[in-house]
Amino acid sequence: MPRPAGVVTEPVSEVAAAPPVHLDAFGPNGPYRARNRMTVPDVTGAPLAELSIVPPLFVQRGIAALRSADPLPPEQRAEALERAGRLFATATVGGLDPDSYRHLVSRCSGLPISVVRAATGIVAEAAQQASATVLQARPQAAAGQWRDPSTRAGAAVWTRRGNVFAVHAAGNHPGVHALWLEALALGYRVIVRPSRREPFTPHRLVAALREAGFADDHVALTATDHTVADTVIAGADLSLVYGGDDVVRKYGGHNTVLPQGPGRAKILLTGADWRTHLDVIVDSVADEGGTACINATAVLVEGGAAEAAAVADALAGRLAAIPSLPPQDPDAVLPVQPLAAARAVEAYLLRSARGATAHLGGDGIVDDLGDGSAVLRPAVFRLDRADAPQTGVELGFPCVWVAPWTRADGIAPLRESLVLTAITDDEQLVERLVDEPTISNVYVGDHPTYWMRPGLPHDRYLAEFLMRTKTVLRD
Amino acid sequence: MSDDGRTDPVLDCPAEETPDGQELITAAMRWHFSPRTGSPFWLERAATLDFDPLTDVKSFDDLRLFPNIVNELRDVRVEELIPRGLAPDDLYGVYESGGTTGAPKRVICTTDWMDRWLAFSQRHLDARGCPRGVNWLALMPDGPHIFGAALREGAKRSGGILFTVDMDPRWVKKCIAEGRGEDAARYADHLATQAGFLLETQDIGVMITTPPLLQRLAQDDRMVELINEKVRYIQWGGAHMDADTRHLFGTEVFPGVQLQGAYGSTMILGGSLERIDPPAEDVCVFDPFAPYISFSVIDPATGETVPYGERGQVVMNHVSKAMLLPNNLERDTAVRMRPPEGQMGDSVADVSPVATFDDQAVIEGVY
Repeated sequence: MPRPAGVVTEPVSEVAAAPPVHLDAFGPNGPYRARNRMTVPDVTGAPLAELSIVPPLFVQRGIAALRSADPLPPEQRAEALERAGRLFATATVGGLDPDSYRHLVSRCSGLPISVVRAATGIVAEAAQQASATVLQARPQAAAGQWRDPSTRAGAAVWTRRGNVFAVHAAGNHPGVHALWLEALALGYRVIVRPSRREPFTPHRLVAALREAGFADDHVALTATDHTVADTVIAGADLSLVYGGDDVVRKYGGHNTVLPQGPGRAKILLTGADWRTHLDVIVDSVADEGGTACINATAVLVEGGAAEAAAVADALAGRLAAIPSLPPQDPDAVLPVQPLAAARAVEAYLLRSARGATAHLGGDGIVDDLGDGSAVLRPAVFRLDRADAPQTGVELGFPCVWVAPWTRADGIAPLRESLVLTAITDDEQLVERLVDEPTISNVYVGDHPTYWMRPGLPHDRYLAEFLMRTKTVLRD
Repeated sequence: MSDDGRTDPVLDCPAEETPDGQELITAAMRWHFSPRTGSPFWLERAATLDFDPLTDVKSFDDLRLFPNIVNELRDVRVEELIPRGLAPDDLYGVYESGGTTGAPKRVICTTDWMDRWLAFSQRHLDARGCPRGVNWLALMPDGPHIFGAALREGAKRSGGILFTVDMDPRWVKKCIAEGRGEDAARYADHLATQAGFLLETQDIGVMITTPPLLQRLAQDDRMVELINEKVRYIQWGGAHMDADTRHLFGTEVFPGVQLQGAYGSTMILGGSLERIDPPAEDVCVFDPFAPYISFSVIDPATGETVPYGERGQVVMNHVSKAMLLPNNLERDTAVRMRPPEGQMGDSVADVSPVATFDDQAVIEGVY
């Protein structure tokens, strides 16, 4: 496929013959190196690490230990989290200094190293602020603990819904591990099942948390076989599970499981001044390598085919200029995958794009780096109507569906969005977007879909799921 | 021979003796393929074979000439399986496979075979130092499954009383196949509760169960306490136990209890027992009851035996007076191990199902 001039695709030589990195499980008796280990490959298939895969018995015993442990007092939790964040970002943890860790993440996940670097900061900041963040979700009437003087007259007290919190983590982006730290801040004991796509971040984070003061029976890491995954959920009181529509369907009716499904973030452009917002649109699509749930999947443009085509052309022009680079290159922007996986994504994209007009990537999006890996180059496809099903096809690289939208379409095509950026001055429309229950976050004006801040909800506050109120009355 | 060949010095050797493998095979071919002694099933099939078992099958390797006939055992009238040379009261019973892959397969067991298997099992228990004269608790399938019958006989011979809990593995497998994992878990809870009544009130020295049930019992602190207090010896079988689980049971959950694995199948009327290795050896090797029961480990793509230390698919053979069940390719994979001196065929280690970490490559969505 055509690629911009001056692109460097030579693979950068790797750290030669380093001893294998061992990603041990973290159980109730400290680190555990399993007999059953999986080799974690880089994007070319070369081995990077050995991940210990533990059996259900290990998980059960780990959860039993978490359940019977007393959490640290709140102030100590806050201090330990703060310390863990600093260790995670700056210290040598488990034998890996921050640069080695980031290199491994980048080579394993194919994420641009700059994205990994920024994510390290995001996770560290989340750890430092977790104890303050969770308080944002506390109902105003509720006291933080039963000893509060208000309970002498009878008062609401904010308490945990359970004690053990399980996380089926995702491996698309290290930033996903920022969220579950809030459960630790609230006194939950946490067990994390890492994704094989990128186990380095949760391993480093749990190691840092233990070094920072959380005990072996406060936080655990258990990589398991797929068939054991449900054991982790079954044993915990509450769980956070990342996945696709299948996971959302599977756990949709469970009030103890919080599924984190596709983001399907969208941008709505009304009026004619979208050109001044092109940077925000491009960034919403391509920032984070297009791998995050908060990347824009669709752009809806008020008007007809001509207006949508103009936006699609402008986006294609900008996205086409991004170079193809190996992920560890400091200038890399696009994600890299093993060649076969990249080809599978490409085939899926082209199948999904039937009936759509290609503005970029119509002949394919795979740029073979020649070492077994390939860059996933951006794709821009135009649809002929706002309710075309492709607006919900979220792929893990900069891929955007542009569709025309009119007032007559209403907000139906904008539903089911983790983030909706509306570049509009129509307050009535904004009102309806804010009221729409299936839109999780609404940004009005020149704000990218990936905008996030500690203390603000991402997909509601996690603490809304983790906590409840109860009345306490005492003499 | 004076009794029309109904007794044979090799096939009828004393249960404490181990016949030579080649002699056993030769004698068994004569038995199963002679019109006066063979079963209708084998005599009928002999005509369709492109070799002559009487002259062409003399060694372990020659057993591979046979087609795998186990699927025919789903439909055949069981009378067809009984060697004509047996007397009516030689038959001990009819047993069935688990029934996971469709209709169950049937085999016959003779009193003589049961004696041989139990002698082998008891020799192994004694070598492990398993106490005699203590009571057994079996949380294992009975009814159509051969385990139950063998345990009843085994407990009696070792001088103990047998306590049992009913278990229907077919129902469990059906629940799991239908995605009703919670029903399977409820059933395991139900079995564990029943085991609890026995462990609380009775003197149990030996426990026989499956790895999943052992794991279920390990979730209950009271059960773990009772087992550690009373039980000296746990034999597990009927399902896989991975090396890490075995390590955790042995070192953390039941550290003072002898753990002994069994690996076999109704389709070979028994199987193999875990080799008695020094405790430092962190490997679970199964030696079959050779030469009656023998294993090989092959590459399923080529049919060739894999080198020692490498993983392949397990082929099982049963050769006795009761039955001839050769060249049965099992679904399990295992590491091929060097056999003990004089054993016909391979030993196996790290028996396991095919590994799955994720269902399949996920394409849509970012997670």
